[in-house]
Amino acid sequence: MSGRTNTLNRGAFAAALCLLIAGATVARADETWDSLKKQNFGDRAIQAEDGVVILDAPATAEDAAIVPLTIRVPPSVTQNLKSLYLIIDKNPGPVVAKVTFGPAAGTGGERKFSTRVRVDNFSHVRAVLETEDGTLHMASKFIAAAGGCAAMQPKDPDTENEGLGKLLVKTFPPALSTTPLFDAQVMIKHPNHNGMQLDVNTAKFIPARFVNGMTVKRDGELVFSMESSFSLSTNPNIRFSFGRGKDNALDVAVTDTDGTVFKAQTQPSGS
Amino acid sequence: MAGENDKFGAMAKQTLPSRSDVLLGGLALLTLSFLRLGPVRADDAAQVKEIAPGVCVHQGRYELQSAANQGDMSNAGFVVGRDAVAVIDTSGSAIMGRRLRAAIRQVTDKPIRYVINTHMHPDHVFGNAAFKEDDPTFVGHYKLARGLMSRSEQYLAASKAMMGAETVEGIEVIPPTLAVQDKTTLDLGGRALILEAQPTAHTDNDLIVTDTATNTVFLGDLLFSVHVPTLDGSIRGWLELINQLKERNAARVVPGHGPHAMELPEAVAAEERYLSTIAKGVRALIEQGKTLEDATRTVGIFERDDWKMFDQYHVRNVTAAFAELEWE
Repeated sequence: MSGRTNTLNRGAFAAALCLLIAGATVARADETWDSLKKQNFGDRAIQAEDGVVILDAPATAEDAAIVPLTIRVPPSVTQNLKSLYLIIDKNPGPVVAKVTFGPAAGTGGERKFSTRVRVDNFSHVRAVLETEDGTLHMASKFIAAAGGCAAMQPKDPDTENEGLGKLLVKTFPPALSTTPLFDAQVMIKHPNHNGMQLDVNTAKFIPARFVNGMTVKRDGELVFSMESSFSLSTNPNIRFSFGRGKDNALDVAVTDTDGTVFKAQTQPSGS
Repeated sequence: MAGENDKFGAMAKQTLPSRSDVLLGGLALLTLSFLRLGPVRADDAAQVKEIAPGVCVHQGRYELQSAANQGDMSNAGFVVGRDAVAVIDTSGSAIMGRRLRAAIRQVTDKPIRYVINTHMHPDHVFGNAAFKEDDPTFVGHYKLARGLMSRSEQYLAASKAMMGAETVEGIEVIPPTLAVQDKTTLDLGGRALILEAQPTAHTDNDLIVTDTATNTVFLGDLLFSVHVPTLDGSIRGWLELINQLKERNAARVVPGHGPHAMELPEAVAAEERYLSTIAKGVRALIEQGKTLEDATRTVGIFERDDWKMFDQYHVRNVTAAFAELEWE
């Protein structure tokens, strides 16, 4: 008997708890989204799971502080993209990021946008994409954040501010010179303090300081600009596709809530 | 979090009887039969094995905490000196702490002067409250209090969710009253314990405890065996520390999760292989421009059959390693 109970693993537990919570709060979850929807999109219609946008996310957050999310727009969608909202219903500050795409975002293949987020609770995660024709498309996933928000604590508080502002930008040229889209990655060393972490030595909250904006340009033209919240993981990491240009040199500017601006460029490549 | 809702314990592994085994034999048998029939009674003494004269270890189970195992999922031990007793880790609940205390009281009436925690994780500190009546000095790494206090709400909530309200009753978050900055010696009466604070490895507050009388070294969760290692600190720091451990002269070492006692350097071989495999695999993918998701899908999966609790912790380990190593 105890043997059987002992085989209960965390996955099963998380699933069970997830069911319980899902069952008990279906109505509330819907209310949460209804109000978020109203706040951000008014009365506009949103087409859910219509295949225009796809969200890849783990069903269970192994580390709730670093949950990888990837948003993909399949090649069959050929329109330009206007904007992308990333929303985690149950997070404090549910709108994780608002991305506005520019002319250098590109077309002609699978377009991608990835980042890592903190998930505070069992929650729906949503990607709402606006295409050029002004229609809204949504993909969503339910994530069991088994670690809860304990993971919000840095593993080593004494080193988390080391190298703050270090900004790395990489481009990954496609294998063929005819492929119309490039991949790139922006990494910034930043603790992304959400203002909810207690410094037990001083018994005060560590002041919020997080990355709240990013602009990426290719050869001077906008790929995207992003407004973000403290729901981005520590050391924010953004991976994205952009349209092939002449030099494919990227200019990146990142701002944080202290008003500090961090800048970096890549050299021309793969043109 | 993380390595934090850890879990543990294997009652079944019986080896040759030692002195305390004989002393506790009758009760141990009784305990075993209770285990087979259902939940353990709170007043049962924990099963301990005397691994060296005056050094006893209780082996935790290789499990997540649950109502059935009452948080018995990490190793806990004690050392008896001429004048006093030191406890090294207290298991994952007040119930388990009381069972450990009962085991001590079956061996000796000497005062329990020190309760040492090898690091902050709840499966090693949540039994502390059982020793309050002894008014001991609680001892830990100088960073333990910060780590534990900033996570205590989540630790308590996770324990309650996993074990149930009844089982978590009596758990208290008790940080050290004596903080070890570098190296400290405790005297049990003709028997010295040396405590050494470590740089960030398994966590940022790992403490190594050496009983000088028998050269027994309690490594806490710096050493995992059988149970997959859990990374809640720094993979680079941990691998560096393992290199030092291999050179260390010790009669025996006690893992935080694993058998009662092991010998160096073989004891760290599997853990070193696992962590090196992750570090190497993650670095290779980063070099190739691959993503965190790519890493969690591929790195180290051939280690799966060599460990218990792999499915519960491996992806998180790879995630933590990736987030650390991508900044090298």
